[in-house]
Amino acid sequence: MIASQETASKGQHIRIRIKRSDGPGKPSYWQAFDVPREPGANIISCLQWIAAHPVTVDGEKTTPVVWDSGCLEEVCGACTMLINGGVRQSCSALISDIAPNDGDEITLEPMSKFPVIRDLWVDRQRLFDSLKRVQAWVPIDGSYSLGAGPKESPDKQGTRYTLSTCMSCGCCLEACPQYNLEEDESQWPTSFIGAAAISQARLFNEHETGKQLKRERLDALMGPGGVSDCGNAQNCVKVCPKEIPLTESISAMGRATTIHAITSWFRR
Amino acid sequence: MASGPDTKPTLTPAQIQRHFLLRRLHSLTGLVPIGVFLVVHLVTNSSLAWGRFALRGKGEGLTVAEGGVKYFQHEVTFINESVPHLLLIEITLWVSIAFHSILGVVYATSGKSNLQRYPHQDNWRYTLQRISGYVGILFIFYHVATLRWGWTFLIPEGTKWSHSFSASTLAAAMQGSTEGFTIFGVAVSVLYMVGVTALVFHFANGLWTAAITWGITISAKAQKRWGIACAGLGAGLMLAGWSSLIATMTLDYDEAHLIERQMFIEKYGEAEYEAYVEQKGIETADPQPEQSTGSGGGE
Repeated sequence: MIASQETASKGQHIRIRIKRSDGPGKPSYWQAFDVPREPGANIISCLQWIAAHPVTVDGEKTTPVVWDSGCLEEVCGACTMLINGGVRQSCSALISDIAPNDGDEITLEPMSKFPVIRDLWVDRQRLFDSLKRVQAWVPIDGSYSLGAGPKESPDKQGTRYTLSTCMSCGCCLEACPQYNLEEDESQWPTSFIGAAAISQARLFNEHETGKQLKRERLDALMGPGGVSDCGNAQNCVKVCPKEIPLTESISAMGRATTIHAITSWFRR
Repeated sequence: MASGPDTKPTLTPAQIQRHFLLRRLHSLTGLVPIGVFLVVHLVTNSSLAWGRFALRGKGEGLTVAEGGVKYFQHEVTFINESVPHLLLIEITLWVSIAFHSILGVVYATSGKSNLQRYPHQDNWRYTLQRISGYVGILFIFYHVATLRWGWTFLIPEGTKWSHSFSASTLAAAMQGSTEGFTIFGVAVSVLYMVGVTALVFHFANGLWTAAITWGITISAKAQKRWGIACAGLGAGLMLAGWSSLIATMTLDYDEAHLIERQMFIEKYGEAEYEAYVEQKGIETADPQPEQSTGSGGGE
């Protein structure tokens, strides 16, 4: 792969077609840009080049294309978009892999399940709200030291480690047929929560201190838009860039909510 | 980025529990009673194909088709005359099917299929599960309305199903007449083939997803193993369903009627038979001259 990057010859171009939009609620339109091939290029570096040279293939001067990015090493999730129709992070999408030949075309689109702010930049607030919905944290805030926490078993740590690699990028939601664009924020608390937050609820329920909020998390997952709204298309696990076993988390939370529902019915 | 609203759910515990209960009841009704009934129903029907071999000594001299009619009629009579609380069982089924159908449509319309972008096998089944549900609702309605509730205007030539002449009247309803296939009969038969296939798929795939929903198969490996088991069950039910359909579509009305006639007369006598076919408007067939009504007929 490195060899092919270094031998990328001068004068070669890739054509990038981008689905653009000037602002929230504005209509979308397509523009294409020819970008010179550089060794080691990724989608982000191509977008940087376009920002510096905002001229379409028709020679028309246009506004720079807007996108979101952060870490540039596939751990923050901010630069997630549709690349040739597939959802993934643009920082780890190398040009030498996805467009190896001169004149190859790449299409870029913003994720379709979140409101577009501009061009390729979307507002993933609903995803962050869903983490609040299941209280995806360890409750240790207080005014005095609580001392050491309970012992964690290596077994559970192993399970939790994989779940903890979730970066809230939204790939699983983009691919999910049950998770659809909802512009009305008041509908978010009862719309399908999606695989990411279900898996995070499992992560913190498996944590010896985090499990203090277990019942609250399960209540949240039992309601409208909770884990039972999953349709088992299993697209989430196939597009997850961190290979998190999301469908296992969904089933695990299915079991936990089943037991929780029965025990709380008898507890009332 | 816009700051979100307070995302603490504003739902009452009762609302949360009701949502969960409806979802789980939707899953449960698909398994019991609907799924269990489907298995029993298809296995019973398939005796039209293999009943000759279940008759053992009593099937001597009968062809496979004739033996099938005899065994099937025997089973239908047993269900109608010996199963207790039959109407209660039926009502439970109708209510369960209506509940599962109505909620199923509500749930199915909450999703948006995206097969074009994600053409995975699992995603195919997600979409097919919904399509087969819609097909299944229409088919079950037609099936029950015509054969159980007697809405004969929906059947070509208005053939009414009778549980005492089960195989012959079923063949007439599916073939379109008592004389063999008509163009309407072809349409009804195609509907049955599509409907049975859709419902068997819906049940087998539903059995697989139910194990995830209830949290029985958690690991991906367990889901795969259970998937193979469900596919095996589905294949078996498909075989049962299709063999009974083929047996019905190839059945000769007169031949079947004569066997059922003999069984009816053995049980109730000749006068009852005449009165019954007259009252129900069942088309009779002339017995072959050499055919006797059996040794026990004179009691």
